[in-house]
Amino acid sequence: MQTKVVLEDYEIPKQWYNIQADLPKPMSPPLHPGTGKPVTAEDLAPIFPMNLIEQEVSQQRWIDIPGEVLDKYLLWRPSPLYRARNFEKLLDAPVKIYYKNEGVSPAGSHKPNTAIAQAYYNKAFGIKRLSTETGAGQWGSALAMACQMFGLECRVFMVKVSYEQKPYRRLMMNTWGANCFASPSNLTEAGRQVLAEHPDSPGSLGIAISEAVEDAVSHENSRYALGSVLNHVLLHQTIIGLEAQKQFEKIGEYPDVVIGCAGGGSNFAGIALPFVCDEIHGKQLRILAAEPALCPTMTRGPFAYDFGDLAKKTPLLPMHTLGHDYVPAPIHAGGLRYHGMAPIVSHLLNLGLIEAQAYNQLDTFDAGVKWARTEGFIPAPETTHAIAAVVAEARRAKEEGKERTILFNWSGHGLVDLAAYDAYLNGRLDAYEFSDDEMKRALKAIEGLPKP
Amino acid sequence: MERKDEKTSDYKTLIIRCPRLGGEVPFAYCEKEGGDLPCRMVVGCWEGIFLVENHLRETLSEEAWIRLNSQPPKDKLTNILDIVEKAKKRIK
Ligand SMILES: Cc1ncc(COP(=O)(O)O)c(C=O)c1O
Repeated sequence: MQTKVVLEDYEIPKQWYNIQADLPKPMSPPLHPGTGKPVTAEDLAPIFPMNLIEQEVSQQRWIDIPGEVLDKYLLWRPSPLYRARNFEKLLDAPVKIYYKNEGVSPAGSHKPNTAIAQAYYNKAFGIKRLSTETGAGQWGSALAMACQMFGLECRVFMVKVSYEQKPYRRLMMNTWGANCFASPSNLTEAGRQVLAEHPDSPGSLGIAISEAVEDAVSHENSRYALGSVLNHVLLHQTIIGLEAQKQFEKIGEYPDVVIGCAGGGSNFAGIALPFVCDEIHGKQLRILAAEPALCPTMTRGPFAYDFGDLAKKTPLLPMHTLGHDYVPAPIHAGGLRYHGMAPIVSHLLNLGLIEAQAYNQLDTFDAGVKWARTEGFIPAPETTHAIAAVVAEARRAKEEGKERTILFNWSGHGLVDLAAYDAYLNGRLDAYEFSDDEMKRALKAIEGLPKP
Repeated sequence: MERKDEKTSDYKTLIIRCPRLGGEVPFAYCEKEGGDLPCRMVVGCWEGIFLVENHLRETLSEEAWIRLNSQPPKDKLTNILDIVEKAKKRIK
């Protein structure tokens, strides 16, 4: 009975997959906020090195992975494809569950896949130092490790509320040699302005990004790095799905459903894009993004697609109907659900090539704890969203009496996120149930809108 | 489960997991996330826990409430370029 499907080091994919080459409809280019014209390479040059900008806009299907990047990847890649037999037994449904374990990277998540590549390309371009922002510290720690491996200085602006709450992530960054600052800091004009007005500001991602970008543009040989959303980040992550395809080939299987949790979109895209390629070329499968939804409406059904703004410029977004009728709904709901979602992922959703579902935190932690108690590994809170989606799929398979092979991306371990488990296990997480009246109102709000 | 309906002052210390930061934050953070405005996800994240909309309508000015609800989500790259422009001006 096989539990792990492993690839030898020499079998690691040597190219990343660029979905831009296969999109049935090209993406509309981002527009520069100042000029209103499509963004050019020059616009991006102050923050990213040209070799990464070329990847950002590349239409080439396959992009070679440099040897130096492969050498570093080999520290934990190819990551194993596991069959979750114990969890299957627990679910007692006609499903085979496979997962890519990205928690085996030194930083404990999928993020080093792009951190290593970005550090390499910056180094190759002559950059000496990278700065970035981080929320809870996952991305900051991946970049800290990658910078150390390529001899780059690394500066991380960590949102103050997390800096104070997450000493272990900060210490990981320090151990890998990075400077980690609580943001707002007095190191940048952006930070100083906030501190002058709000000396006790808890920070925010917006402030931290402003500080990291300012730090990059105000120092020579310095650039900014971003761990999600951008096309080149998603490109680097495709190694996950490409390996999974090889691993499935080895055992003569193929998934019916591919699942990833989606924050900014990079780990989801990492596993999904190579399979979207198959889908575009005629394969039958479903590809599902599991979103965090701290209200349970999506899990209970009534959500619909809509545009994120009234001008219909943003991609079609899965929209919560809660509150739909008390605030300008599309803006309110679009912003809520998909703030910062990768354009590629949004575009695929728009084209109907992928689906999105949301799970509330009690369901996700319930799934995560069940997972830990059967498969042993403790998932990151983000990853529990993917596991909750697997549980829902298994339930559906059981109801329909149909066999299904499920693949999901186990995007990271939760060993530095145990406070969330503490809250869950001690009954400090809540999920509010809708009343029937509210449900009726929600259903009425989506009448006439397309269903996801 | 019923929504909590405590006094406003009790909300500040309630903890939730922020889907953007990936960690736990008190409501006080969400209330200040946007500088002079709350985080634009504040209603969606908290409405299952207490009557956050009522609270915001009571504590925000009408103008701030409208601004909070009329921010279209920006494409990330556009947002970053906006930040680059602002940074360039600041460090001039
Ligand atoms: C373990 C883990 N999984 C998934 C995500 C979401 O990743 P992305 O924003 O790239 O979709 C994160 C982000 O912090 C993470 O730490």
